Amino acid sequence: MFKVQRMSKLLIAASKDQLDPIVRELYRYNIFHIEDFVEQDAEGYEGFRIGKPMPNASKTSGDLLRIRSIENILGANADNADRGTLQKADALHKSIGDSLPEIEKEVNSLVAKRNDLESKVRDCDQKLADLEAFRAFPFDLSLLSGYEGFAAIAGHIPADVELPFDCEKFFTKESEGNLLVAVIPRSKVGEAETFLSEKGFVSVAIPKETGEAKARIEGYTHEKNSLSDEIAKINEQIAQLNAKHASFIVACDELLTADVERAEVPLRFATTEQTFVAEGWVPSDKVQSLTADLERVTGGKVSVTEEEVDYEKESVPIEYDNPDFSKPTEALMDIYSRPQYNEFDPTLLVSIVFPLFFGFILGDIAYGLVLLLLSIGLRGMVKDSIAGNQLLDVLRNASLTSIFFGVLYSEFLGFACPWEPFIMSRHFSIGVEGGHGPEAIILLIVTAWIGILHVTLGRILHIRNLYVQLPKGEHRSKLVFAQFGWIIVMWGVLLLIWTIAAIPLMPDLTAAPQVANFNAFLVLGALMIVIGIIGIGRESALELMELPTNIVSHVLSYTRLAAVGLSSVAIAAVVNYISIKMMIEPGMADLNVVGIVMIVAGLVIFLLGHVLNTALGLLGGGLHSIRLHYVEFFTKFYQGGGKKYMPFGKIRKFTEE
Amino acid sequence: MAVETMTIEVAQASAVGFKAIGAGLAVGLAGMGTGLAQLGIGGAAVGATAENKEMFGLALLFTVIPETVVIFGLVVALLLLFT
Repeated sequence: MFKVQRMSKLLIAASKDQLDPIVRELYRYNIFHIEDFVEQDAEGYEGFRIGKPMPNASKTSGDLLRIRSIENILGANADNADRGTLQKADALHKSIGDSLPEIEKEVNSLVAKRNDLESKVRDCDQKLADLEAFRAFPFDLSLLSGYEGFAAIAGHIPADVELPFDCEKFFTKESEGNLLVAVIPRSKVGEAETFLSEKGFVSVAIPKETGEAKARIEGYTHEKNSLSDEIAKINEQIAQLNAKHASFIVACDELLTADVERAEVPLRFATTEQTFVAEGWVPSDKVQSLTADLERVTGGKVSVTEEEVDYEKESVPIEYDNPDFSKPTEALMDIYSRPQYNEFDPTLLVSIVFPLFFGFILGDIAYGLVLLLLSIGLRGMVKDSIAGNQLLDVLRNASLTSIFFGVLYSEFLGFACPWEPFIMSRHFSIGVEGGHGPEAIILLIVTAWIGILHVTLGRILHIRNLYVQLPKGEHRSKLVFAQFGWIIVMWGVLLLIWTIAAIPLMPDLTAAPQVANFNAFLVLGALMIVIGIIGIGRESALELMELPTNIVSHVLSYTRLAAVGLSSVAIAAVVNYISIKMMIEPGMADLNVVGIVMIVAGLVIFLLGHVLNTALGLLGGGLHSIRLHYVEFFTKFYQGGGKKYMPFGKIRKFTEE
Repeated sequence: MAVETMTIEVAQASAVGFKAIGAGLAVGLAGMGTGLAQLGIGGAAVGATAENKEMFGLALLFTVIPETVVIFGLVVALLLLFT
């Protein structure tokens, strides 16, 4: 909590004959984040070379390729395959040898047949396209070829023409773009082509067919249909094969993927003639059990040492360590950046504050319920995606707080609920004579308070990070003083404002005791600002330029919690006003055709308006809440940039060793 | 002359109207400012994300920075309308 998982660096050394059992055990444990070995000539690295893959690597990856190709053809997919019982690795290895060639043969022969049929269909399509122009030509097509002294030309032409020499000519308008076919003396071909092209003639090739074009088209269409039927049959057979073998194939895929990963892992180890050394990170609380198990599988022929680590300099892989409640929020953290090893991990804070912000903005029982249903309904679509599930969990929490705030605000689709709001009212009372508007000013002040406290918390966390990360000394004191400076400048400015004007929900210091003719708090505030500026300036004078943005706009930025929320209530209120007016005044007043149309139109406006507003609420509520964290909160203390912890191993779904 | 015929009621009504116009201008002009600022940032952000998916978080961060401007517009509009 508030800290990432503690990590230890392990050095595992053994002779090469222990490579296989050790790699197997590491893979099974799925906790060892390997540091890739890089060959170098530095002292202490002499004689170490990158390892070579295990002997079975190339055969296994060949098998895996074959499995993947079958998987592609069958459309087998790990997401929708039947999990059933876990299959034993040994038995599966044996059946890969026995039944895989058979399945492969069957699949390949079906695919070859299908390819053959598909190419025939393409041929038919081509012929049909060629014949289409001659559909209205009522003679045997073979009559157009095979003469010594004559040649036939055919093509489309905008209008009928008479050729300037003796010839047999056919013209029809029934064909698209008109069809002209002429049989002319071979000697006149050139002349005819020039003449016709001037008239806009576009020639088409005469199909080498026997019989009338119409009959041939029917013949080819029939042939194409029966070919398509055969393809459908083959597809059905492939689908049956998939149903029969899918779980076997995906299990093989999983098994062989694991085999290949294990066989290739020596590429990441350092090796000598007889030994190998693997270096990597393990969560500190699991070091002992891993060491014990490695010694067990090798019969003690392994040396596992925990290295001394300088956590400030080494790039440690980062794994979150959060209570279950906060785990979904890790997705939001990953979008920004993982924390560094020694810094404060704000995931827990975000997991509490983000839904509160979201609820504060959206705050409507009905919209909250819709989003809650959405977060449950979409679960089927993301299934195995960890990040997808996490984001949906975040949405679920956010919609629950929206419902909670909806009850507090007394809002349902923008309507008032039968009870008075428990906190500030956001009702617009549009169209109500003498109705009260929302308590906008109070809302704005509350959100400014939220901003002041959130930003102050961010600065305090920065000071905490400085104490943990830096050694004691002048440098650290300077930085701490600067952060402290930011805090007191902000509170100093607040004191000044409070002495000048009385603001609701904020201390009224306008009538505070006087010190030398000045308000005491005015003096105190001014003093705080001066000290603060000195603190900030000592660290970096340039940062003083950021004073206005960092102090004023970052706090005021939190007023979006009120403003965006009010605009969403306003849209809902307007939609309700328009649609209900339409339904009651012109609609119900006079129940004729126009009235009914008005009622239907009113309903459509009501539905569309609220769907749009739900979408806007999700987008506005989500983006603005997370933005307040990313821009206003994180920039105060959060560095990020941690490397993701990716252990060597795999969570098995279909197989077991 | 219009001024001579103006009663207190008319003056009050037009004051409310001017407030509403002011509120509209505050949101509209601030929104245009934000839009102009996001134009360049958004384009570059989409490009960066297309090249490297890991940029998404940072790109989103940069894109939403100018949004504060329109929020200020909205806040001013609310202050105009409800004080």
